[in-house]
Amino acid sequence: MPKASSSQRKRSGARGKSGGQKKPSIAKPVAVLAAVVVVALGAAFYLQRSANDQAATAPAPSSQNTRSPISPEGWSKGNSLAKAVLVEFVDFQCGACAAASSRMSRIASKYGSELKIVFKHQPMQKAHGNAMIAARAAEAAGLQYKFWEMHDLLLQRQHEWAKVPDPQTLFLRYASELQLNLARFRRDLWTKEVGDKIYRDIMEGQMAQVRSVPAFFLNGKPIPNSRDEFEFEQRIVDGIRSLQ
Amino acid sequence: MVLAGFAGMVDSGYVGFHSLTGLLIPCGPAGGCDQVLNSSYSHWGGVSIAWFGFAFYLAVTAAGIFGLSGFRQVFRFSLIATLAAFLVTLYLLYVQAFILQAFCDYCLLSALLVFVILGAHLALRPWNGTPESA
Repeated sequence: MPKASSSQRKRSGARGKSGGQKKPSIAKPVAVLAAVVVVALGAAFYLQRSANDQAATAPAPSSQNTRSPISPEGWSKGNSLAKAVLVEFVDFQCGACAAASSRMSRIASKYGSELKIVFKHQPMQKAHGNAMIAARAAEAAGLQYKFWEMHDLLLQRQHEWAKVPDPQTLFLRYASELQLNLARFRRDLWTKEVGDKIYRDIMEGQMAQVRSVPAFFLNGKPIPNSRDEFEFEQRIVDGIRSLQ
Repeated sequence: MVLAGFAGMVDSGYVGFHSLTGLLIPCGPAGGCDQVLNSSYSHWGGVSIAWFGFAFYLAVTAAGIFGLSGFRQVFRFSLIATLAAFLVTLYLLYVQAFILQAFCDYCLLSALLVFVILGAHLALRPWNGTPESA
């Protein structure tokens, strides 16, 4: 095998094989490296696609509506014993979710005696880098019985924390405003239990083929997030009546 | 070293592609991947650190291939890159163990590969050994 000094290396880099037997060629290692990188990227891409395909085919598809994968468990408002259940999948960093929150509050106060409204996390992490830690903040507040209070703060002040590189400081301030135990909040923020709870909601959303947020399921069936408030409300009224 | 670099490229590329899709990444029975890979520590400047890892493994693989072809001095540069990667790996292991309290299988594999690559550099000293040592 050739032994190359640094000067030989430079010359060989410039002249390639024409320099003689002792001088290494740059063309061959470049070609090998390119091939190795292509194979590695191809393998990584193939494995990632295979994992996605498996995840997509493993659960029963919800679009058939044979059996809803949506459970009525989670943080809830309204009548916890009501037959009609409205499940919402929310990303705290999503602008449409913040916009929909006032509508949801109005529906909760208007139909709260006949309807159970269940909250589920669906942080869209590709688009929203702070969505996951916001979900954790809400859950950590929930461990001190202030989930809905933190939920409202996060959506009302979304503009404050959505784009900052490290929103944890702001969330600690919100926790302070809600008079939470800050040491416990800080600790709970990163616990496995909190992460697992959010993970289960995300899995549920994936099984129900949630592709955008906010997503709503009334009595286990998806309903569109209509911009027309009357139409949206009418669907909920119909859903409540259908079970009476 | 080339094999470890190749394995590292597949590992980090896999995590990197997953970060682009925003979908959940399959994880071992202990879980933890989602918590680690979606934490605020998983991105630098908005870019998944998996892609920084990919760049490192690409550099190591390139050093191995060029070293085998006679350009042995490149191993001095790959040693510097590996030492930097080693320090970053220690920091990320600390974050997983003490801050997030969750471990990601792909990150642990990457840490192992960095240790192997650093060990290969220190044990074989390929910049003045035989090319086969790469």
